[in-house]
Amino acid sequence: MNPMQKVLREPLLHFLLLGTAIFGGYNLLSRNSRDEPGKIIISEGQIAAMAEGFTRTWRRPPTREEIDGLINDGVQEEVYCREAMALGLDKDDTIIRRRLRQKLDFVTADVAALAEPTDDDLNAYLKTHADTFRVQRQFTFSQVYLNPERHGENLVKDTAELLARLRQAGDKANLSELGDSFLLEHSFQLLPSSEIVKQFGEKFAAKLSELSPGQWEGPIESGYGVHLVRISGRTEGRLPALAEVRDAVRRDWANTRRLESNEKFFAELLKRYVVIIERKKRTDETRVAVAK
Amino acid sequence: MKRKSILISTLFCAPAISTNRAPAEETATDIGTLDQETAAKVFPAKPPYSPYAGRNFPTRPFFGDTHTHTSFSLDAGAFGCRLGPKDAYRFAKGEEIMASSGQRVRLSRPLDFQVVSDHSDGFGFFPQLMSADPALLATPQGRKWYDLIQSGKGAQAAIDIVTSFGKGQLPKGWPLPGTPAYRSAWRDTIKAADEANEPGRFTAFIGYEWTSNAGGNNLHRNVVFRDNGAKASLIEPYTTQPPLGSPNPRDLWKWMVMCEEKTGAQILAISHNGNLSNGRMFPIVESFTNKKIDREYAESRMRWEPLYEATQIKGDGETHPFLSPNDEFANFERWDKGNLDLTVVKKPEMLEFEYVRSAYKNGLKMEAELGVNPYKFGMVGSTDAHTGLAGVEEDNFMGKTSSSEPSAERFSHPFVKTSLATIMGWEQTASGYAAVWAQENTRESIFDAMKRRETYATTGPRMAVRFFGGFDFDAVDANNRMPAKIGYAKGVPMGGDLTDAPKGKAPTFLVAALKDPIGANLDRYQIVKGWLDAKGQTQEKVYDVVVSGDRKPDAKGKIPDVGNTVDIANASWTNTIGAPELIAVWKDPDFDPSLRSFYYGRVIEIPTPRWTAYDAKYFGVTMPKEVPMTTTERAYTSPIWYTPAGK
Repeated sequence: MNPMQKVLREPLLHFLLLGTAIFGGYNLLSRNSRDEPGKIIISEGQIAAMAEGFTRTWRRPPTREEIDGLINDGVQEEVYCREAMALGLDKDDTIIRRRLRQKLDFVTADVAALAEPTDDDLNAYLKTHADTFRVQRQFTFSQVYLNPERHGENLVKDTAELLARLRQAGDKANLSELGDSFLLEHSFQLLPSSEIVKQFGEKFAAKLSELSPGQWEGPIESGYGVHLVRISGRTEGRLPALAEVRDAVRRDWANTRRLESNEKFFAELLKRYVVIIERKKRTDETRVAVAK
Repeated sequence: MKRKSILISTLFCAPAISTNRAPAEETATDIGTLDQETAAKVFPAKPPYSPYAGRNFPTRPFFGDTHTHTSFSLDAGAFGCRLGPKDAYRFAKGEEIMASSGQRVRLSRPLDFQVVSDHSDGFGFFPQLMSADPALLATPQGRKWYDLIQSGKGAQAAIDIVTSFGKGQLPKGWPLPGTPAYRSAWRDTIKAADEANEPGRFTAFIGYEWTSNAGGNNLHRNVVFRDNGAKASLIEPYTTQPPLGSPNPRDLWKWMVMCEEKTGAQILAISHNGNLSNGRMFPIVESFTNKKIDREYAESRMRWEPLYEATQIKGDGETHPFLSPNDEFANFERWDKGNLDLTVVKKPEMLEFEYVRSAYKNGLKMEAELGVNPYKFGMVGSTDAHTGLAGVEEDNFMGKTSSSEPSAERFSHPFVKTSLATIMGWEQTASGYAAVWAQENTRESIFDAMKRRETYATTGPRMAVRFFGGFDFDAVDANNRMPAKIGYAKGVPMGGDLTDAPKGKAPTFLVAALKDPIGANLDRYQIVKGWLDAKGQTQEKVYDVVVSGDRKPDAKGKIPDVGNTVDIANASWTNTIGAPELIAVWKDPDFDPSLRSFYYGRVIEIPTPRWTAYDAKYFGVTMPKEVPMTTTERAYTSPIWYTPAGK
């Protein structure tokens, strides 16, 4: 992508162009454009909009009297708004301020959603967020469980004995007879590491990846007790091709893009201001529950 | 052939077994002919060398939440929730996200599935209100709520919205099915679920909550779709406000019939919080007509409502000390002051129609009269979080609403307060999750397991719990290295049926529980039995089936307490007491084959710090004496019912 293309795809630019277009157009078309101080014009278009709004609410068109009522109300609203603004009543009003902020929020959120990513964008995103999309390492393994409550003081001795027996038997070990009864499976085919964490906990999963395949190993601990383990196969994790995970990458890309462009937009605007915060020095360093 | 019947029993809802009859039907197998005696030994033939071959039963439970609200729910939005369905799924999948209160939050490990279930009434109301929709703001109520929220009094607005909703006093401009605001909110919900759904890794169900709240009495149901957006988008959710909707569950069931016919989608409903229904959740006499429940009600309820959410943040609903005075664990996280909005206080005679155990008991009685048991449902737990955050671990409790996300003050804020009663913030229960024994982590497999009730409720911990019933379990089966295999071979799993007891035999149960891999040890596994006696009276009894350590019952039959290692000040405990795994076979010592009965499992953890203890430690606050600082987490399995032959 050449620099010019990059610039053209910049949401902030889109926003500024769009903003100019919207607000320029607004000024041209707005009822205020022909309004001078001391003069109020209610246009045909505005009257039609009032009637339409009425129809939506009441599910019938307004009568002649009702239209007159709406127009009179519109005039009063315009007069009051102008007078209120002249008095500065719109300043320091929480409702108005939040509403303005929200409107701007809406506009910028839409701007971020406008741009469609190219494959280059997505490939770059995939590379920089490899951990999120990585196909996990998978293990094919068998395990035999020893319940510490049942073995008590003999746990270490019993475990060593069982390990010796298992090593002798190798892959011929009859798992349906060895060790203690256990609610989870004894053999797993290509179990992804996140599943191992879910079923056996973090500690077990970490130990498992240190073991060398082929032989009965252990003991390794889990939240349940002690396990002897034989890994018979494992596939390494890998970074998938974009085609395999396109939808997921696109979703995350769009989400990241939205957050970034919001931040950037605010940062750009902030450049136009000098911010001075006149805070008294804090004496009480109590812990505040909510971060912001 | 036997193996086939096992497979069938796991595939269909409510499998009935009758082992005295089975051998006669199964003499010829594909590997030779069996005689009666050999067949009675249960394994009809030598199993394959590989003990794992030929299995098609669920091998691990999937944990999820069937009940998460987001900003699309009007009350959640009013309480400050800014997270939508997409965010809810991200959090459930284990991602770190920013909560509405501005804190970074994350689950200890991902959930396996989730239903985002926003209220169908006023779906999309909040986005509409926040964008200052003119029609809505033209009404005095709409204006008032908008102003309250804008001036930072969201909680007050939320209560007013919920109260107005309970009274059916809603402003014009309220979003109704068929309006653009409504349709777009439903479309967003569907889209978020379809995008988050990853078969094999994470299941995101399309769903919504039908929030019937007539008179402030909670009759809420969550509706769950088995299918994807292509079907769900052919319809819009059912609401409770007439004329488009109705607060009567019978009308919801009619809508569900219509929905399946119109869209071809399969759906089910899960009700919750009978404890806030003031005697209306499990009625014998319908509150809408004052008539006794009839066969049509019973059949419809059973067709559409295979499950009940027995535990959640607004209290636990298994049973109540008033109903179960002899149950030492009955007094757990009770919310029994009144109805949902505390406009009517609770009277003891209401309790019978609010809790699971008494519903199971009354169900037996009603089945004897109607021929159908309206309350033959299984159990799940779920959060009912209104934060978009399905987080109910005691040390990671995200609260009920965004205003009760972690803070130094949340325990001391009244949760609901009226002139009649107050429920304090500390009374919120960090509970629960739904556990489902499904073959695989997909919409289809999990939904089908829900339909056959192979589910259990947990109050938060992810313990694995098995519960099998049959007539031939033997003490040695508890020593088997593969309890599940023998469980499915000789019996039915949780949610199933037993009938036609062979002469001289009583039901036997193979029970097993494995602790949460990062959680606390287990204290005991109990079986709760209920039955309809010869005089037509309902009865109940709790049996301690297997306990950790060498504890023996005293003269009165009470097992000594497991002990307590909780250090409240440090919010910690040790697994030096209790057991990582409990397994046993139990035979009903008081069985009468002519009486209807049900059995369900209850697993109790050793005491651990309650979420309030973690709050007290982290925020350095002191809580009043009445605030409990320890808890005993637990799991409840769906029952297995016994019905006498010919009944």
